[in-house]
This record gives sequence, C-alpha cells and structure tokens, in this order.
Amino acid sequence: MADDIRIQREDFILQAEYDRLRGGGGVGAVVAFTGLVRDFDRGEERGADPVQTLHLQHYPGMTERLVAEIVAEARGRWPIADVTVIHRVGELRPGDQIVLVAVSAAHRKEAFAAAEFLMDYLKTRATLWKKTGAAGGERWVDMNAADRSAAERWQPGDGRESAGG
Amino acid sequence: MLKIWFFGRLGDVAGCERFEIPFDRCLVTVACLRDHLCCDNEALAKALNEPQIMVAVNQQLVDWDSNLQQGDEIAFLPPVSGG
Repeated sequence: MADDIRIQREDFILQAEYDRLRGGGGVGAVVAFTGLVRDFDRGEERGADPVQTLHLQHYPGMTERLVAEIVAEARGRWPIADVTVIHRVGELRPGDQIVLVAVSAAHRKEAFAAAEFLMDYLKTRATLWKKTGAAGGERWVDMNAADRSAAERWQPGDGRESAGG
Repeated sequence: MLKIWFFGRLGDVAGCERFEIPFDRCLVTVACLRDHLCCDNEALAKALNEPQIMVAVNQQLVDWDSNLQQGDEIAFLPPVSGG
C-alpha cells in the first residue's frame, strides 16, 4: 500500500504510472483517470471565446497535505492497494494533461469507486485554483454546482459507500 | 512578522499574492487582521467578507475568531477549482 502524491509543473506519462501500479502484489484492477485542459468553460454561453491558456495555482505544502488526507479517507472507505495522484500546476494549454488519479485494488469495484471519490474530493477540497485566458481576457474559475453535488453524494447517510464493499 | 497569502481571485483584488506585515498586538484574531488589511480597499473588503472565503493559519483551516501569534502564516482562500 503506497500513496504517491505529486503536485508538479511537469507533464506525466500515463503508461509509466500505470506500470508502477500494476507491479504491486494482489492487484486485479487498476483504474486511471486523466483530466485534460478543456478549450471551453462549463456554463459559458455559446460563442464564448475559446480558452487559450490555463493557469493553475496551488498552496505549496497545504495542497499536498489536503490531497494526502483525501487519499487517507478513500483508504478508510475501500480496500485499495496503491494510489497515485498527480496534479499539475503552472501554465497549461487546451489538451494538456492536468490531473491523474490512479488506484489499484484486488477488484474493479473499489478501484472505480475510490478513483471517482478521489476526483470529486480533489475538485472541491484541495487548495488549487484555475485561471483561464481567452481572447476576451483572464478569468478565475468558480467551483461549479455540479462538482459540489458530485462531492456531496459521498457524504454519510446516502448509502453510497456500500457500492464499494 | 505575519506572512500573508491571497489565493485565486483574491490576489488580483489585493494587488499581490503574498507579503509580510509586522506583527501587532492589536491583531488579536484572524478577523482583526482581515479588517486591518482591507480598511483602505473597499473591493478587498467585499471579497474577503464573502461567506465562502476560508482562512488558514499555518496551513490549517481555522475559524475567523482564531488568535494570531508572531510568525504566523495566514492564507485567505476562495472556493477551490482544481481537478
């Protein structure tokens, strides 16, 4: 059981990260999610200027610690093996890889559930902020309602955790 | 000294992302510091008093009535948007 948490400017190679998770013993499933920089903003009206640049800001130290806490919470919910979370910061462009969440486990159900949980919590709890740049100027991105409700469904009382058991 | 960080849109409103100010005994709580920092910046006052703004002292989320000490690092955090 290993946690690998990286907040970095550099890009990552999905195959290399996958191969590392694959190498652990007792693993029957690896789920890897990769998020890409979009050239459009959710909720923007049609015809809005396409996104040309994305600036990712984080709080060095605190961001890594919060991500580690989110991973620890996932471990409390599902029997998973290794976890890799890579979040890029700095200047990115549409199509760039921005985030990787990869989970290995004995079976697919807990790997899927934990990966989805990690992404939902990463988006709503980790101290990271996006600023888009388009022809019309720069704009800080707001947390949207869909991300907030996606995270809320993991909270106690909704019976959702049993899906990973 | 107090080390101050403004993240996200707050950095634009404040005009800078990080700076230091001398510690002063009048700055008893985080809320005192907030009011002190925005006493001559109406836009920053509005931004920092929005209910969704969170604050961290030494990288731990705290309440606005938390006490400050010499050397603390205080970060004002708007809603996050990573992932």
